[in-house]
Amino acid sequence: MINYIKSENYRLLRKKSLYLTTAICFILITAAAFVLYYFNEVDAHFPYGTSSFFYSNVLGMGVLIIIISFVYNATLTGKDISLTKQAVSFGISQSSIFWSKLMLTLCYFMFVCIVGILLMIGLGEILFAKEPETTGNFLIASFNMVPIVLSGFILIHTLKMLKISDIYNIIIIVFIYIFSGDLLYFVFRQINGWNEFYLFAPSTQLNDNLMSFMNQSMQLDYRYWVTGIVISVIALFIGAATFTKQDIG
Amino acid sequence: MSAVIQTYTLTKKFKQDEVIKPLNFSVEKGEICALIGKNGAGKSTIFKMLSGQLTPTTGEIYLFGKSGKDMVQAKRRMGFMIETPVFFPDFTAIHNLEYFRIQRGVAEKKRINEVLEIVGLANQKKKKFGEYSMGMKQRLGIALSLLSSPDCLVLDEPINGLDAEGIMEIRRLLIQLNQEKKITILISSHILTELQLVATRFVFIKNGVIVEDVSKQLLDEKSRKQIHLKVDDTGKTAQLLERAYEDIQYKSLPDQIITIQNHIEEAGEINRLLIKNDVFVMEFRVEALNLEEYFLGLVEGAGEK
Ligand SMILES: Nc1ncnc2c1ncn2[C@@H]1O[C@H](COP(=O)(O)OP(=O)(O)O)[C@@H](O)[C@H]1O
Ligand SMILES: [Mg+2]
Repeated sequence: MINYIKSENYRLLRKKSLYLTTAICFILITAAAFVLYYFNEVDAHFPYGTSSFFYSNVLGMGVLIIIISFVYNATLTGKDISLTKQAVSFGISQSSIFWSKLMLTLCYFMFVCIVGILLMIGLGEILFAKEPETTGNFLIASFNMVPIVLSGFILIHTLKMLKISDIYNIIIIVFIYIFSGDLLYFVFRQINGWNEFYLFAPSTQLNDNLMSFMNQSMQLDYRYWVTGIVISVIALFIGAATFTKQDIG
Repeated sequence: MSAVIQTYTLTKKFKQDEVIKPLNFSVEKGEICALIGKNGAGKSTIFKMLSGQLTPTTGEIYLFGKSGKDMVQAKRRMGFMIETPVFFPDFTAIHNLEYFRIQRGVAEKKRINEVLEIVGLANQKKKKFGEYSMGMKQRLGIALSLLSSPDCLVLDEPINGLDAEGIMEIRRLLIQLNQEKKITILISSHILTELQLVATRFVFIKNGVIVEDVSKQLLDEKSRKQIHLKVDDTGKTAQLLERAYEDIQYKSLPDQIITIQNHIEEAGEINRLLIKNDVFVMEFRVEALNLEEYFLGLVEGAGEK
């Protein structure tokens, strides 16, 4: 398995899309910060020249972050999966392939996320006026988002490994991370004991997290982890079991 | 056990379709075994089961005498190329092979250049795989199967897409690998003549069933030419032939047909001999057996009953 991970790493580091996506994300973050900074400088009444507004933009784009994670995931899945037939012929198990690709892309993705958060805090601190609680709140909000974003990444990985087409993959992601809360609300609102179930929907949680940040009522919340872990475990269970048994010839 | 590959009642069903019927098949150490069958006969399906790309519906596979979990080690001694080889289109041959070198734990980097040299791709270092012709892809596939210096090669229609010169090179390469490196080879084709000069054993497969399994020697015997005669008096003809040629080999068939398996170069003399002795010759021709038709056509009739 170690050799397999090493070979996949060799492949990953030679994917242009990886560098391009990373560069674009960092450039956009930086550009956004400077645009806010610029307007704040020229217009004394500009209300959005604050680090909390800057941070809230990213917190509000949970789904976009998950979609970006799609690109990272695709560096080792997508068309590359057809090479696995040659790995399997050499005796590498399909479960090694499933987990290696996941772990490797996930590591790079998390690394880029951490660098992104540091970049934002750096820009926020330098360009905007000090707001005592904001940076701490941003870190808490980011931490709350971790399980949701990771569950999205893992779900995407499973769907890609099972060769679900990209369009369906994105539809499923958009549904779960944008519309699931509304759906659960309508389905369960009449049923006693279940009418708060929608609060566990990832889309509701992403919204709540943003709201708490804007209201400055930020705190760590275990429910994000419950939802994230449930989605991840289900995806991994189905994914690993199905992919391992799948004929790949 | 000297069988490198051994299967017991191996079958494969796709939905209800039994594509491979219970298959007991083995490849012995040192052989070049050719698997001959038309498109759709099940050659690739068998190879995919051997490689683990497909799970057999029933039956067992032994590679180097190992089965199940123990087979992982045995698989490292095998080199597979099944159907069209797949590589990263944006990588050159060297990058592609480097990826597999790392994956397969091959220590020496120079092995990459060695295998590229062997398959004749060493002078195409700049080209990306996506720009390769069919024949070049096939060659890189063979290079990959050689990368980890296997003891057994399993090649699925490796000659597909190669030009005449390429075919000759690959044939020469296979014989060389077999004789010098003692590599056992299992190779498939839908054209017998492609492999007739290479293989030491020929297995014919039809609709997922092995219908013939013959040695090179037997195949050569069967494919030898013969004289086909139709005469009015087979008894007299036999007498004349035996008298004129002491070692004559012939068969008397129904419908007053006689076939002669040797002295073919003396066909003219034989003809004159018969006519001079008042045998009425209705047909006289020298024929070569089309073995593909002989083996694969034969079973078509049987299968359609
Ligand atoms: N994945 C599959 N699903 C359904 N049928 C298949 C599949 N792969 C092969 N077959 C069928 O199995 C038969 C044998 O195919 P194959 O082994 O590829 O033949 P060959 O390699 O001898 O040309 C064919 O009839 C083919 O249609
Ligand atoms: Mg085939």
